[in-house]
Amino acid sequence: MKKRETANKDQMRETKSKSKNVSVSVKSQKQKAVVKEVKPVEKEVKSLKEEDLLLDSGTDSDYDGDSLSGSLNSDDFDSDIFDSEDDGSQRETEDGDRESSKDEVHGIEGSDDNDDEGEQVDSENGEEDGSGDEGSEQDEVAEESDSSEDEVAPRNTVGDVPLEWYKDEKHIGYDITGKKITKKEKQDKLDSFLATMDDSKNWRKIYDEYNDEEVELTKEESKLIRRMLKGEAPHADFDPYTPYVDWFKWDDAIHPLSSAPEPKRRFIPSKWEAKKVVKYVRAIRKGLIKFDKPEEEPNVYLLWGDDSTSDQKSKHLTYIPPPKLKLPGHEESYNPSLEYIPTEEEKASYELMYEEDRPNFIPTRFASLRSIPAYPNALKESFNRCLDLYLCPRVRKKRINIDPESLKPKLPSRKDLRPYPNSCYLEYKGHTGAVTSISTECSGQWIASGSTDGSVRLWEVETGRCLKIWQFDEAVKCVAWNPLSDFPILAVAMGRDLVILNTELGTDEEQKNIKDLLQLGDLPEPKAAVAAIVSWLPDELYGGIKIRHFKNISNIDWHRKGDYLSTVMASGETRGVVIHQISKKVTTKPYKIRGLPVSAVFHPSRSYLFIATKKNVRVYNLLTVDEPVKKLETGMREISSMAIHPGGDNLIVGSKEGKMCWFDMDLSSKPYKTLKNHPKDITNVAYHRSYPLFASSSEDSTAYVFHGKVFNDLNENPLIVPLEILRGHSSSNGGGVLDCKFHPRQPWLFTAGADSIIKLYCH
Amino acid sequence: MPKHYRPAGKKKEGNAARYMTRSQALKSLQVNLSLFRRLCIVKGVFPREPKKKVKGNHHTYYHVKDISFLQHEPLLEKFREIRTYQKKVLKAKAKKNEELARLLLTRQPTYKLDRLIRERYPTFIDALRDLDDCLTMVHLFAVLPASDRENLEVKRVHNCRRLSHEWQAYISRTHALRKVFVSVKGIYYQAELEGQKITWLTPHAIQQVFTNDVDFSVLLTFLEFYETLLAFINFKLYHSLNVKYPPILDSRLEALAADLYALSRYIDASSRGMTVEPKSDASSSSQSNDREESELRLAQLQHQLPSSEPGALMHIVADNNKEVEEDEETRVCKSLFKDLKFFLSREVPRESLLFVLPAFGGMVSWEGEGAPFKEDDESITHHIIDKPSAGHMYLSREYVQPQWIYDCVNARIILPTEKYMVGSIPPPHLSPFVDNEAEGYVPDYAETIKRLQAAARNDVLPLPGVGKEDLEDPQNLLYAGVMSRAEEAEAARNKKKMAELEKQYHEELKMELRGSAVDVAPVVEEVGEGEESVPDAANTQTAQDTSDMPTLLMSRKKRKLYEAMKKGQKKKSEAVEALEQRKKRLNAGQQ
Repeated sequence: MKKRETANKDQMRETKSKSKNVSVSVKSQKQKAVVKEVKPVEKEVKSLKEEDLLLDSGTDSDYDGDSLSGSLNSDDFDSDIFDSEDDGSQRETEDGDRESSKDEVHGIEGSDDNDDEGEQVDSENGEEDGSGDEGSEQDEVAEESDSSEDEVAPRNTVGDVPLEWYKDEKHIGYDITGKKITKKEKQDKLDSFLATMDDSKNWRKIYDEYNDEEVELTKEESKLIRRMLKGEAPHADFDPYTPYVDWFKWDDAIHPLSSAPEPKRRFIPSKWEAKKVVKYVRAIRKGLIKFDKPEEEPNVYLLWGDDSTSDQKSKHLTYIPPPKLKLPGHEESYNPSLEYIPTEEEKASYELMYEEDRPNFIPTRFASLRSIPAYPNALKESFNRCLDLYLCPRVRKKRINIDPESLKPKLPSRKDLRPYPNSCYLEYKGHTGAVTSISTECSGQWIASGSTDGSVRLWEVETGRCLKIWQFDEAVKCVAWNPLSDFPILAVAMGRDLVILNTELGTDEEQKNIKDLLQLGDLPEPKAAVAAIVSWLPDELYGGIKIRHFKNISNIDWHRKGDYLSTVMASGETRGVVIHQISKKVTTKPYKIRGLPVSAVFHPSRSYLFIATKKNVRVYNLLTVDEPVKKLETGMREISSMAIHPGGDNLIVGSKEGKMCWFDMDLSSKPYKTLKNHPKDITNVAYHRSYPLFASSSEDSTAYVFHGKVFNDLNENPLIVPLEILRGHSSSNGGGVLDCKFHPRQPWLFTAGADSIIKLYCH
Repeated sequence: MPKHYRPAGKKKEGNAARYMTRSQALKSLQVNLSLFRRLCIVKGVFPREPKKKVKGNHHTYYHVKDISFLQHEPLLEKFREIRTYQKKVLKAKAKKNEELARLLLTRQPTYKLDRLIRERYPTFIDALRDLDDCLTMVHLFAVLPASDRENLEVKRVHNCRRLSHEWQAYISRTHALRKVFVSVKGIYYQAELEGQKITWLTPHAIQQVFTNDVDFSVLLTFLEFYETLLAFINFKLYHSLNVKYPPILDSRLEALAADLYALSRYIDASSRGMTVEPKSDASSSSQSNDREESELRLAQLQHQLPSSEPGALMHIVADNNKEVEEDEETRVCKSLFKDLKFFLSREVPRESLLFVLPAFGGMVSWEGEGAPFKEDDESITHHIIDKPSAGHMYLSREYVQPQWIYDCVNARIILPTEKYMVGSIPPPHLSPFVDNEAEGYVPDYAETIKRLQAAARNDVLPLPGVGKEDLEDPQNLLYAGVMSRAEEAEAARNKKKMAELEKQYHEELKMELRGSAVDVAPVVEEVGEGEESVPDAANTQTAQDTSDMPTLLMSRKKRKLYEAMKKGQKKKSEAVEALEQRKKRLNAGQQ
């Protein structure tokens, strides 16, 4: 291969030198012609040379390439010619002048494009025949000029320098005589464009930046370029695969090329090969290399021969078999009954559904078996099943197959739990605003009610007659009867005032006592801390006592002895709950409370006070004014009301989220039972004094009545049974039933509604 | 102190020690995710749900035992070996060491899954129990086009096809097929083998399309396992029939894409060859001479013999030795199409019918080469055709649509063919998997079939012991005569559990018919109570209140359960209601 390459090179060089010889001969001829001024001869030579080139250049690729590059970039061209022509010029000893000879060659180069130019040059030569060296130089300048017929642009001689050096100059360089070659006028773009459009040969024209001129390629040159672009030899006639001719005569060489003796390794067997053979032999002996194909073991065999071995227990975790796919129903049939096919509207409604809710299979009907198309989701469903099989955690779950009704707890029949209030018996109408609070007198003959219209009314229970009206100028928040039967007085809370009203109901003796009690004689000197929040005043309007607080009162409660009265204000620290003693006209603020108090209730038999804040209920001992005895955690968001069982060990708490919890204080500080019975806020809860009943009222304008039996046996938990939902109030202003109270002796329930009606529910 | 604080040096306990997340598992196994997936798939390891998710809710948890189970799996080592091997080949190729690459390619490490199958399914029954997915997948891949892009080779598709045919041939041969349902998704078959109900889905014989949203590597790993599993199961099944496995098929029939038929012939031939029986049948005598010859030759020979119908052969074999084992249902299935001869037209789903008809004792032929009998055979009783009209019609046979066969199979009686005539739209095809009573909605055609079934039982078997089917028809209960007989039947039969259940159901039905007042009475009473106590309140409101009251006292868990159950019931009843409304509308539209 290499040999061949070198041979090719040799050949090339040879041909090159040949062509050089030719060019030299041409040159010499031309010189002669110049001397003789014989044009025809010159012409002949030209034509001869051209032929020569056409024929010869088939073998001389270098030369042609050079000439081409020369015409494109004269820099390379020049240097190349310099190199290649060195020998030639040296040979021409008779000429002596190197430059001229070189220039001559240039001339030839240039002239192979154009004959006419040669002629012109010749004529010029003729003119300046005798002018010696200078003349010859000039003529050479002329000779160098490019193919354009009209003008002979001076050749640039700046050499291989970056052309941008001349970018801002007026000239592009210097000619051979050292004169500046000025830049041509820049043509107008439009003009140049038009010129290019007009000129059909425009595509052949190339701008030569070095000489600042346009060069037009000849057909041959363009062909040459095309061939070179293809990566072929530049000349069409060049055959790169000529048979190799070995010019070296090998046969009659007497002496070897190297005189070194033949090495030993040529005569001994290879050690490496021997090693390899040994290795193979050993591998064959060991059985690593087998020549006959190994016998194929059967792929399948009787895997489960007898299942006697199956008794052995697996050491692994219990296997949970994958759940089987749901079997198809009628709707998946290719021809389902017509009622399984959804109508167009239903299909449209599927589109509006969320993607999760949308049924993933829509039944369709095909008239015959052959018209069923391929199911497009087959692969997808198979894939999903695979994913389920290996990605989903498997858990054994027991599916309960029971009647849901059996989950309901067995409750004693409501018939057995009678009596309880279940139907509306009476309505007390008269208030003009929402009735916020009601209170029953301890004998059960009278009820008092307070309303947002600022009136407190006294009703006779059995007739529904309004006996008395006290009108105040503020909305009444709370009313409460004194629990003592011989002191029929009312505590009314409105705004910041607490008014003790004489109802003038009892006997004369009782009235006298009351008047004595309500006489604000000489008030004892209050403590400074108390004086800041409470002041005792006489009530001018109805002749009672008015106790003015520093904040709006939210709740009041009488002690069972009828002497003490607690008021609750939405204030923290020690000022939230105060206790007034009516007989002594003294106020105490007993406790430091965490959070805002909501409600305060006295224990029905012992000296305890229950104070409910928003989340918890705390029990305080009235005798030792100190930390709470007990804390009950309701777990509710906002407590609204609280009531204590007359036994004193149970407590119900109502909350604003509609939940009610029952505390058994002997059992735990957590609720014994939490009932979510109302969708809206619970406004009040109440126990019956003697019957095992309790009730809750809510803003959803219903009231619930429950049976809540507390057993004396401590082992038995209280029995709670929901009995009745009392409807009847209408909702107004977002409020439903605002208060509920039981009748002290009968199983009757009073409810006060935001619709300004008081209702009595009887059994 | 954080909740899960564990003092240094103290071992993990509880869920933290028992479960690990997937990434922990990957780390401890030193494998990448794809390899882990493959291992999980072939080993049948699935995530577990710990009671307390120590690492958080969004992780998948594996049991530590499962992971250590994978850790000791020899397959893991094998996979690693394969990986290094692949690297070697790549390296050799990259270095242009063709010789080494060629040498390496001959030494490709292989692995087998048989041990895994034995491990996962210690008994044959276990394997049958989990066969549903396997069969569905293999049947799906049997009709998929091979694809280079998805790395699905032709060889595998062919293997799937072969396995599915072998399975079908066995089922058909042992008459274990119970239910067939043509759905939009494909054809569902249900067979009963060793007490296990096996349901699988075969796609319609139409070119399936590949979808882009499917990860084929997962599917192919599953398929690899399933192929092996099914091959072993088929071996076991064929072994039980005394037939050599893998079967050698008649190449001519195979080429005609009648593999199933070829297989059934093969099974018959070889199982008959094994069981020595001197019958004076032409086929058997010729066969006894050829017994020494290869199985292939046998099958071919049999094919040439005129009397070697698959059905006939089956009967011969079945009659003499299998009768003892067969239960009643198989006997019913076997004799459904006993004396009928079917001919399949070109456009009907041949593969499905060739499977179904012999399974129920019918004789089949089809249009085309290799068919056992020609279209002009006089003894053909039914011609299955799925065209709007038939060309030349023979008077001796009935021309029916293919749905007739499926409906007959599901109903277990020969249905009248009038509705299934050529050119007519057949009656609705109902799913045999639905318990209509439990669903709460009985389509019309289901009732018609029930009536027909009852009639058939009465016609064919007027014995009290077998007239059980008529009870299923609630309509018939109205007739006093049938009632009395049904009662007799009840007295006579106490053996089967199914029957007992049925009886119970019917007693309930009767109760309902006789004294519906008894059931309703308590409700009425309660409502009455409410009315008594609350004269003013509306009845409905009171009833609502009384039913809602006890829910107040339920614990939250129970209440949620109760609500969920109620919701489910409501949904079901709504669906039924929607169906009934649609039906009403349709009826109104027709009139």
